[in-house]
Amino acid sequence: MAVVILPSLLAAESGGQKRFETEAATLGEALRTLPVAVLLFDEHGELRPLVNVYVDGIDARESGGLDAPLADAREVRLVQSVAGG
Amino acid sequence: MPNTILVGTKKGLFLVHGDESRTKWEAAEPLLEGWEVMHAILHDGVLYAATGGMVYSPTVQRSQDFGKSWELAETIGLPEETGEKVQKLWHIEPGHEGELWLGGAPAVLFKSTDGGVTWEANQGLLEHPTRGKWQPGAGGLTCHSIQLDPTDRDRIYIGISAVGTWRSDDGGKSWQPKNKNVWAGFNPENEYPEWGQCVHKLLLHRGKEGRLWQQNHCGVYRTDDGMETWERLDENGLPSDFGFPLMLDPHDPDAAYVIPQIGAENRVTCDGRLGVYRTRDAGASWELASNGLPEQAYVSLYREASAFDSGSPAGLYFGTHQGVVYASPDAGDTWVEAASELPPVFSVEVAEWPS
Repeated sequence: MAVVILPSLLAAESGGQKRFETEAATLGEALRTLPVAVLLFDEHGELRPLVNVYVDGIDARESGGLDAPLADAREVRLVQSVAGG
Repeated sequence: MPNTILVGTKKGLFLVHGDESRTKWEAAEPLLEGWEVMHAILHDGVLYAATGGMVYSPTVQRSQDFGKSWELAETIGLPEETGEKVQKLWHIEPGHEGELWLGGAPAVLFKSTDGGVTWEANQGLLEHPTRGKWQPGAGGLTCHSIQLDPTDRDRIYIGISAVGTWRSDDGGKSWQPKNKNVWAGFNPENEYPEWGQCVHKLLLHRGKEGRLWQQNHCGVYRTDDGMETWERLDENGLPSDFGFPLMLDPHDPDAAYVIPQIGAENRVTCDGRLGVYRTRDAGASWELASNGLPEQAYVSLYREASAFDSGSPAGLYFGTHQGVVYASPDAGDTWVEAASELPPVFSVEVAEWPS
């Protein structure tokens, strides 16, 4: 089981809940079942480019992407890119 | 009497509550903290906010308990075959019989028939044969104005930057450009094209059939025939043809209010002051109506950041990029500062808030 940790802006959209336990098989499944999934993905199902996801500290885009299995993962952390003002 | 200003800002939605006189105002703690709130309305007891920002998906959030809790709309998007994606949502407009309309970029219009839970993209705009040639304004290729004819539910007027003003006579199935006499001075090859004008704000007067006003990149205009023809008005006494805010008086179809800015290359108010200009003769003449506003100011304002209420006399409201909100309780005769030190103001609306 992994724990998904949301940044504060998204936690506020989840009734204040910041941590979500997940038994999802893949990272994509874990993210798509979050109550804030609509904010993370565009209408074509792609993860928005300034949403960064780290699985046990490793950038998910460099380690299998959304299809990566979560079997041994402990922590999935969503981080807003530093871009923007 | 409307008593609350809904102020959408770069960092949250602020409610500014007023008393019956509309001269004393107080800002409350922000709702939707941290979100870019492009526009917010209170309609049939439900608060709707178009939110976005660079990171997360643009969406509409709705609250049925006046901001205590919010629900997200389902994905608001464009069909994959278009190859386009929604970039920003700009304006929510109540429609007939419970419908809601939503405009945004890239030149998209949505309709909801379930109270804002789901939104369907307007195919007439997506499939318009000229769409491939449409060009954005500085704020994007943006459908920002949506005006519904109160007597004919099939007639809809929209404004898209920089595509111009368009009308549908079949409930949005098809759209025709309606820009006759509107100048596109930024296009020397064709200064009066059929479409391609840069409308900044379009408003319909609900008390006079066929009358609409627009503040354009290149002038202020009025139509009396449902946009078949436009008459240019800024040369009748305004210091500039350029601006964004536009306010009307629901009791006087001949009255309108604009806040001219120097121009496209220098988007601050004219003459170093914050000048609201008023016409009461359908644009034949304009007068400065800025009693109470700063006399030394270099202020920029956005297209959604002005509103008017249904009080008598009409109340007028606008907000600035500098985070100040002003209110007039008497149709522009006098102004008061309603709130200050807010984040940059993107939008202003006014509502009757439950006490």
